[in-house]
Amino acid sequence: MSKFILLMLKNLGRNKLRTTLTALAVTVLVTICVVVLSVVATVRMQLSTEASQAKLIVTERWVAPSEVPVRYIPRLTRIRGVEDWTTWNLYVGFFDKTLRSDRAGLGFATRVENLTRMHGGLENVDPAVIEALKNEKSGVLMGSTLMQAMNWKVGQQFTFFSTSTAGKDLRFKIVGVMPAGVYPLSFFFRDDYFAEGTGNKDTVSLVWLRLRDASLAPRVISQIQHDFASSQPALKVETESSGVARFVEKGKVILFIIDFVALILSIDMVILLSNSISISTRERRVEMAVLKVLGFQPLHIVAMVVGEAMLIGALSGLAGAALAWGASALAQSGRLPSDGITSFLLVFPVPAQAMMWGALAGASIGFVGSVFPAWSARKVKVSDVFSRIA
Amino acid sequence: MSQAPEILVRVDRAVKHYFRGSECVEVLHEVNLEIERGDFVGLIGPSGSGKTTLLNLIAGLDQPTSGHIFFAGNEISAMNESQLARWRTNAVGFVFQFFHLIPVLTAFENVELPLLLTNMSARRRRDHVRMVLKAVGLDHREHHRPGQLSGGEQQRVGIARALVTDPALIVADEPTGDLDSKKSKEILDLLQMLQEELHKTLLVVTHDPNVAGRTRRLLRIDSGRLIEDRCDANRPLPLRRAAPVAVSSNSAGLVDQPG
Repeated sequence: MSKFILLMLKNLGRNKLRTTLTALAVTVLVTICVVVLSVVATVRMQLSTEASQAKLIVTERWVAPSEVPVRYIPRLTRIRGVEDWTTWNLYVGFFDKTLRSDRAGLGFATRVENLTRMHGGLENVDPAVIEALKNEKSGVLMGSTLMQAMNWKVGQQFTFFSTSTAGKDLRFKIVGVMPAGVYPLSFFFRDDYFAEGTGNKDTVSLVWLRLRDASLAPRVISQIQHDFASSQPALKVETESSGVARFVEKGKVILFIIDFVALILSIDMVILLSNSISISTRERRVEMAVLKVLGFQPLHIVAMVVGEAMLIGALSGLAGAALAWGASALAQSGRLPSDGITSFLLVFPVPAQAMMWGALAGASIGFVGSVFPAWSARKVKVSDVFSRIA
Repeated sequence: MSQAPEILVRVDRAVKHYFRGSECVEVLHEVNLEIERGDFVGLIGPSGSGKTTLLNLIAGLDQPTSGHIFFAGNEISAMNESQLARWRTNAVGFVFQFFHLIPVLTAFENVELPLLLTNMSARRRRDHVRMVLKAVGLDHREHHRPGQLSGGEQQRVGIARALVTDPALIVADEPTGDLDSKKSKEILDLLQMLQEELHKTLLVVTHDPNVAGRTRRLLRIDSGRLIEDRCDANRPLPLRRAAPVAVSSNSAGLVDQPG
């Protein structure tokens, strides 16, 4: 078996330029494919996590960005079944005055006292960090990817240049970092600091209500709709999971397009490999006849051709995925300048498992691409080949 | 004590047709032939006379349109492609005019190739290949690729490859056709040694009078018919030996029969 693999490897080395070009093309295509699919994987993963029926989102019905009057909050939180609550005020802007897209950011002004209870993934944040946030009015809890991208450290201060509340730029002091993968590109800070700094004490972007039990959701929603039916501004209320579902509906088309692009790239790779293998088998027609003369079965020939294609596919796939993963890891660790494709990789990290999938996908593409050339090669009739030579 | 001649190959009324478009071309016309084990047979004839076609039929590379081919009593013309491939591995060694070595493999690996189809262990394979390369005088070139060998050396590798599974029959299609006269003589000496020392049956297609002159039996074919069958009565068939001592001390033969 090892000898056959050695033979395949040697065959791949027979036309080094062609093999290198084919491998390079497949590597590049796999890299693109992996990066593109990481978008889908990241979005799907984020959508599937912790979307709960037990949490309600209350926003203003007709206006975007939503402004829910603060005066509504006592009535909302007094409804039977509501166990806990918090608010978000979205604070959008840039981390420096260049206003470059890779310096854009999103902050959430929220209540500190129940920050860890109301936000999935923050349960294990060090209590000392929460304590520091309580003690430091301008304190901020940063997303891990953001920290790496900006190359900041805890204790560092920065000014955030707001576009959502123009001219109300706030200075923050970093008191801690959120666990990896939790709100990786955002930051949390105190709602009272927001109110004081922006002067907006009357509205919040949205209200989160945590229910005692998910089964209470229909009743609480109905109660809010009833209680606020004639309120101005009107409210919209939905479960967290239905909010996610709504987002998914909007995103479905984009995800479909991305999947489609990946499919096209895969077909490209199949054609590329198939072409390369076809040329190679045509060139080695006599050689394959010789192998048959020596006693190789047609199946041996098929296995050899398919094996070569799968080998080159798997190695190129592995290389392509490793390239994407390596670039992503470097971007995540802040060792690459955070602009262009790097900032893309920051938002959509490539997991290490991509290498395994890259190799498998490459091998599969090699298999599909080599089936026809291999089938043709197996039918080489030795007597025909020799009579042509003679 | 003389041994009774044993028929290794029997061709019984073999006919071969080809279709060139709608035209049917008869390449072999009811050929009957018997080849004794251990014989050195030359097959000569003008181009297009059917030499290579007859060689292909005897070596199991092609099937007759009608008639039968027997090898050691077994009808190979009734075998399917897979059976023939298996049979060829053990029964026939091939030597080609243009050597047809695999360019990416070393001399050692080229010779080893047919043994990969057997269940021989790696160590025994290595030993056998080295032994055969030594027999053809190329043990010092085993790590060289075909491109690094001369024409004569490449043909020696080709002969070693044909020999490595210890086949009863070695067929050679113009084995000296691509070599100069000196190298041709060396190759012919080697082939003759295989026949005389190892009791191999040799069937050689040739245009070369020097090759034809070395054979014990000479067949002439023309227009698909055997028109001459001349045997050198002064050259008896070599005695079959229990052990091919010229090549190996292995009492079972050059290599163990695989499978």
